Amino acid sequence: MRKLSVTVFLLNSLYSLTAFASPELMSNMVHEKVLKNGLKILVKEDRRAPVMVSQVWYKVGASYEYDGITGVSHVLEHMMFQGTQNLEPGEFSKIIAANGGQENAFTGADYTAYFQTMEASRLEVSLRLEAERMQHLNLQQKEYEKELQVVMEERRLRTEDKPQGQTYEYFKAMAYTSSPYRNPIIGWMQDLKDMQLADLAQWYQRWYAPNNATLVVVGDVDATHVFSLAEKHFGAIPAVSSTPIKQRVEVPQLGVRRSIIKQTAKLPYLLMGYKVPVLNTTDKETDVYALELLSGILSSGNSARLDSRLVRGQQVATNASAGYDLNARLDSLFLFDGVPADGRSLQELEEAIISEIDNLKKTLVQQQELDRIKAQVIAAAVYQKDSNFYQAMQLGMLETVGVGWQKEAEYLDKVKAVTAEQIMAVANNYLIEDHLTVVHMQPQPIDNKQEARHAQ
Amino acid sequence: MHSKLPVLLAFVLAMFGSQSQAVPTIQHWQLANGAAVYFVPTEGLPLLDVQLVFDAGSARDGEKLGLAALTSALIDQGAGGLTAQQIAEQLDSVGARMGASSSRDYTSISFRSLSDQQTLKTAWGVLTKVVNTPRFPTLGFSREKQRTLLSIKQREESPGTLAQLALYRHMYGEHPYANPIQGQYDSVNRLSVNELKAFYKKYYVGSNLTMVLVGGISRQQAELLVDQAVGQLASGEKAAPIAAVDTPLNGAVIQQSYPSQQTHVLYGLPVLKHNDEDYFALYVGNHILGGSGFSSRIVKEIREERGLAYSAYSYFSPMLQKGPFMMGLQTKNESLDEAVKATKQVLGQFVDKGPSEEELIAAKKNISGGFALKLDSNKKLLANVVGIVVSGAPLDYLNTYVQKINAVTAKQIQQAFQRRVRIKSMTLVTVGENKDTNN
Repeated sequence: MRKLSVTVFLLNSLYSLTAFASPELMSNMVHEKVLKNGLKILVKEDRRAPVMVSQVWYKVGASYEYDGITGVSHVLEHMMFQGTQNLEPGEFSKIIAANGGQENAFTGADYTAYFQTMEASRLEVSLRLEAERMQHLNLQQKEYEKELQVVMEERRLRTEDKPQGQTYEYFKAMAYTSSPYRNPIIGWMQDLKDMQLADLAQWYQRWYAPNNATLVVVGDVDATHVFSLAEKHFGAIPAVSSTPIKQRVEVPQLGVRRSIIKQTAKLPYLLMGYKVPVLNTTDKETDVYALELLSGILSSGNSARLDSRLVRGQQVATNASAGYDLNARLDSLFLFDGVPADGRSLQELEEAIISEIDNLKKTLVQQQELDRIKAQVIAAAVYQKDSNFYQAMQLGMLETVGVGWQKEAEYLDKVKAVTAEQIMAVANNYLIEDHLTVVHMQPQPIDNKQEARHAQ
Repeated sequence: MHSKLPVLLAFVLAMFGSQSQAVPTIQHWQLANGAAVYFVPTEGLPLLDVQLVFDAGSARDGEKLGLAALTSALIDQGAGGLTAQQIAEQLDSVGARMGASSSRDYTSISFRSLSDQQTLKTAWGVLTKVVNTPRFPTLGFSREKQRTLLSIKQREESPGTLAQLALYRHMYGEHPYANPIQGQYDSVNRLSVNELKAFYKKYYVGSNLTMVLVGGISRQQAELLVDQAVGQLASGEKAAPIAAVDTPLNGAVIQQSYPSQQTHVLYGLPVLKHNDEDYFALYVGNHILGGSGFSSRIVKEIREERGLAYSAYSYFSPMLQKGPFMMGLQTKNESLDEAVKATKQVLGQFVDKGPSEEELIAAKKNISGGFALKLDSNKKLLANVVGIVVSGAPLDYLNTYVQKINAVTAKQIQQAFQRRVRIKSMTLVTVGENKDTNN
C-alpha cells in the first residue's frame, strides 16, 4: 500500500530551506519538447553522477482493458522484450547489458513504462532501441506461448499464493462497480488462459505510437542533445489516429459493502476503502491535497496516529496503515489495511479505525501535528532527489495519468497550504459509511506441513 | 542472430579512464573507544545518510533465539527520557528517518536526515539517545515481543519464507546461521527484558562498532557528530569470532508439503566468507550463471526457453563465516520435476565446463560498464561503503574493482566453481503441493 512519501513530488520552493551545499545543482528545471508526431519529451538535467535514466511511458494499462482481455497490457509489456523486426528475442536486453545498463518495465492501471539506467553517454543506445520496439514489434507465437506461461507463474507468485495479495484482488473487485479499476493489473487467470496473440497485436497497434507516449530522461545529459537524439530516432515514426477511450466512470456507491474472504493463512487481515476523487478527476484541488495530508496524519512516520494509537496505544493492531494515491486517471480509494494484534479481532480493529476517522471529523488536527506531516513532505522531496529514477518516474506518471508534469512544481506549496479545517472537511465529505467497502480476511488452517528428508 | 541495427558495443571498457576520478575517497578514523568511522563527503544535496553497524547479529543469540532481533526492535522504543512516541515525533518533526534491523551477522541502525544545522540538532539528538541510553520499557517490550510472535506465525503462510528457513536449517545444521533471525515462537516467548538489556550492554559497544557517514557535511562536522553520538559508548569487548562453518559432505533433498499452487525451490550450500580470494572469479562466474537477469544462463533456460518461472536466479552471499551460494525459482507444482532437472543441468554444466569466452566478455562489459550506477546516489554510496568496510576489504576497493573484474579468466571461474561449489554437498529444498518427487 502506498504511503505519503510515494506520492510526494519535487518542488520549486526549496530555497526556503536553509544550508544547501550547492543550490545550483538542485535545479528543478524540466525541459519539454513535443515532436511533430506527438511524442512528448521531458528532460531534467542532474549532474551529480555520470549516469542517466531513460523512460518511455505509454498511456495504456489495466484500466484501459475490458472484460475478457484483462491483463493484456501487462502481457504485451513482457512481449516487448521478445523480438522486433530487427532484433531477435532477448537481443534488446543483450545490447543493454553489453552497454553496462540495467533495464526493466512496469505496468500499472494507467500506464505501461519501459526504462534503462546507464552511463550517461549511452543514452542513444536506449533511444534507438526504444524507437525500434515502438514501431517494429514482432509478435511471434512461439515466444508468446512461453511468455504467457511466465506471466501465469508471476500471477501465482504474487496473487494465488499470497493471502493478502489475493484478498486485495477480491476487495477491489467488490469496491468498484463500473470502474475498470476493479480488475487486477495482471489480469484474471481465465483471461490469461484465453488470451490470443491477436489480442496483443491489436493492443499494440492501438496504443503504441509516439502520440500516445512520453519520453523522460533524467541525469547527466544536455536537454538539447536529448531532443536532437529523440528527433533522430523517433521523429519518423508516424502518429496513429487515436479513438478516445470510453469514460467508464464509477457509478455512485449507495451503501456500505462488506465481505468475508477465507484464505489459507495464519493471520487475519483487514482492508477498508472509501471512494475518493484524485487530482485528475476533481474540480476542487484543495480537497485532494487535504486528503493527501489526511493520509499523512494517519500514517506518515512512526508518530502518526495509526501507529501511535492503534499499534502502540490501544495495541489493537500489530500493524495498520492508511494510503491515498492522488496520481490516478480515475476516481480511486482512500485505503486502510491492518492485521489485528494477538487476541484482538478484525471487528475491533475496524472499530478502532472508524473511531480514528470519527475523531478527525469532529476535532481539528493540532497545528503541531500538521506541521510534523508537512516537515516530512518537505524532507521527502529532498530525499527523492537522491534518485534519478524517482524524479523521472514522477514526471512520467503525472503526464501519463493526465494531470500534466507541471503539477510536480506545485505540489509542495499546495500541501503546505492545507489547513486543519480542510482536513476536517474532507474527512466529513469523503470518509462516509455509504462509500465504504470492508473486507475481513479470515484465515483457514494450513494443512500440517510435513517434511521429508532424503539423501541427494 | 542477425541484427540490422548498427553495433553499439564499442568503447565500453575504455571509458574508465575518465571515471576513476568519480570514485569517492573513503576517509577513516578511529575513536578512543575503538569505534571505526568511515566518511564520504558528497556535494549537491543537503542530505546526511548514516549507518551504525554493530557486530551483534542473530549469530550471537546463543540459546536465546531471536534475542538480537528483538533487542534491535526495542532500541527506539524509549531512550534517555523520551518515550517511543516522543522519539517518533521528534524525528518526524524534521522529516528524519531512523530504523534498526538485524541480520545473522550484524545489527544496523540506519539514519537519514536533511543536513542543515537546525534539523541535525534535533534528529542527531534523538539518534544519540537511542544509541546510548535505550530504556527497554516493559510495556514496549511485551508489545514488540507480541508483534514478533505474530510475524513468526506469518512465516507459515509464505511458502517462499518456509523454503528459506528450511534451507538454512539444513545447510547449517548445528551452526548458529541455521536459525531464523527472528528466532522461534517458543524461544522468543521465553525472552526477558533483562536479557535484552544484557545483550545491548555487551554488544552495542565502541570496539564492536563500525559507523559510516555519507553526505553534505564537512569532515569537522562529521567528527563532532560522531563524537556526540558514539564517543561516550563504553569500549567493551570486541565480539568473539563466530564459529567456522562445517560444510556438509553429503547434500540432502528436503521436501515440505504446503497447499500452494507453486512449489518454491532452493538449492544451496555454504561457500563464501568476506574477502575470499576466489570472490571475483565466483562473482563474475555467477553473473553469467544466474546473477544478471535475462543475460544469465539460468533465466535463459528456466524462463526464456521453457517458460517455467517468473523469477530464477543464483547468488553468492559472503558473510563473516561461510555464507551461502544459492539458486532459486518458483514454478507451478506440476512443473517441479522439469524445473529441478533443468536447474541441476545448468549448474552441472557450468561447474563442469565454465563460461564461454563470449559470455565472459559480455559479463565484464556489463559489470564494468555499469560501475557508475553502483555509486549514483548517496543511498547506494552508503550501501557500498558499508559493504566494503564491514567485510574488511581495502579502502581502495572501488578504485581497483573494475580492474579486478577485468582480470578474471574463464579458467579461473571454472576452477573456482569446481573447488567451491561441490554439487554433491548441496541441499535441495522444495516447498509446495508436490509430495513425492524423485530428484
